[in-house]
Amino acid sequence: MDILNKIQGSLYANLIAGKSYLLILSGLKITLLITLAGLFLGTLLGAVFCALSYSNSRILRFVSKSYIVIVRGTPILLLLMLLFYVVLAKTRMDAVYIAVIAFSMNSAAHIAEIMKAALEAVDPGQIMAARTLGFTRFGAFYHVTFPQASGYARPVYQNTVINLIQWTSVVGYITIADLTRVINAIGARTADPFFVIFIAILIYLALAYATYLIFTLTDRKKRALR
Amino acid sequence: MIKVRNLSKRFGDSEVLRDVNIDINKGECIAIIGPSGAGKSVFLYCLNALQPHNGGNILINGTDIADKKTDINKVREKMGMVYQNFNLFSHLNVLENIILALVNVKKMPRAAAIEKADKLLEMVSLIDKRESYPDELSGGQKQRIAIVRAIAMDPEIVLLDEPTSALDPTMVGEVLAVIRDLAKQGFTMIIVTHEMNFAREIAHRVLFMDEQGIYESGTPDEIFASPKKPRTIAFIKKLKTFNYNVKSFNFDLIAMCARLELFCDKYNIERKTVNDTNLALEEMITYILHHCYKRLQTPNIDIIVEYGDIDKKIAIEIVHNGKPVNPFENIVFMADGEGSDTEDLGIFMVKKVASDINYKNEDGLSKFRIKI
Repeated sequence: MDILNKIQGSLYANLIAGKSYLLILSGLKITLLITLAGLFLGTLLGAVFCALSYSNSRILRFVSKSYIVIVRGTPILLLLMLLFYVVLAKTRMDAVYIAVIAFSMNSAAHIAEIMKAALEAVDPGQIMAARTLGFTRFGAFYHVTFPQASGYARPVYQNTVINLIQWTSVVGYITIADLTRVINAIGARTADPFFVIFIAILIYLALAYATYLIFTLTDRKKRALR
Repeated sequence: MIKVRNLSKRFGDSEVLRDVNIDINKGECIAIIGPSGAGKSVFLYCLNALQPHNGGNILINGTDIADKKTDINKVREKMGMVYQNFNLFSHLNVLENIILALVNVKKMPRAAAIEKADKLLEMVSLIDKRESYPDELSGGQKQRIAIVRAIAMDPEIVLLDEPTSALDPTMVGEVLAVIRDLAKQGFTMIIVTHEMNFAREIAHRVLFMDEQGIYESGTPDEIFASPKKPRTIAFIKKLKTFNYNVKSFNFDLIAMCARLELFCDKYNIERKTVNDTNLALEEMITYILHHCYKRLQTPNIDIIVEYGDIDKKIAIEIVHNGKPVNPFENIVFMADGEGSDTEDLGIFMVKKVASDINYKNEDGLSKFRIKI
């Protein structure tokens, strides 16, 4: 009974006292915001860099390739710090926006690479067949290349999303009160961080599982992957 | 319907087609044959501008397909194409494969497109596969679907690029039957094929392509029974013989035997004769490799197997450039029919299965002619 009382006390101190749960919720909101915005903009930007790498201009191809190589090879934390302390330091932009920019840039590089690999996996013979049926270049892309490539990209893309969620935990370095940083603060205040860290892990786990569920439920045309 | 004038096509430095001229009329069925690498497929690909040509003109119903003002997609709608590798859309089921272009290119209402697809599927007796995905179908079924997909667009011209080359031998028949049907329905067709009997049966005109162009053309009988130009003659003759060239001590014996069997199957040659031929070839090659060539030499042994239409016998011709030895003159036969020279057991066996053996040595080449 003693142990149970202790656990109860600890949970109370970490979650309820001083309305800590509200703090945790606001941290979760920030984490989700950075993840979703970073993913959305990263996907758009990734598509742009992917398209550039098929451009006729050698310069644009070079730009795309160097961007992918450099950003993929740079730790996201260093990129965040570079933007926050140097590049955008004078703009007084909200740190959350800076984080969104950094994560968009980072995931764009990964996603561009995923898209390229998926496009290359599509059988060129089928695209040719679409053209001989009278489809325009765009029509063949829209009806044949795109659905097949997105099928190939799906599992890797899902992985990227889950990675992105977890990597957002470093934004605390640039003063953002995301889930991880909030947890850290609560743990420091109560000097009893075990349960609160454990709960944070459960929340991240739930996010990862939710991602998995969303991908699985929307994966109606599983057959296209075969 | 199709007019080709001085067509030429290059890939980098190599010229694949040069000054090709041909007129193809409505309802005509053309078979294109020829050795691989003669530009047969490239010619087809040029016809619907999948490969841009480098010179000359291609007119489809009077429209120049290379003209900048031509809407190539409109031209292609009138030209169905069937590929060696089927190229069905792997993310769509059979029905969706067929109606995709009907709905999105022809702008046909979906219900009408489905009705049309069903009718065609019934024609090729694949109606119960309409919900299946391409990877659940056999090669022959895939190709029949690919043909249906092409003709669903009501093309005026159907181009078929080696439609049976990627198929298992057991499935060639079902695809040929469908193509035969199309020919009867009066489609203008151009088929690149290696199925010579089929070409002979359905084509109105046969084009033999070689040397960067149409080397010889004529009715099937003219090309297959009495070709006039040397390369055509050689090609047609080769169709009736089995050729193999041994260039290494470690040549692929199993592959050679398998191909020989395929050749024998074509002529319904009886089992014992096939086995005897196999045995004679194997023993002769082994003997020649070990007695006529030194270990580090590169052997060069040419083998031609011919099946005589008249005497119904197989004739093996072996030509090699090694040391001239005639193993058959040294064999001494014992009274009981056993060979005395046990080392040459193989040669003895060849002698036993052969009805006639001939050896000649001229211009440094040794020639064996063995009849089984």
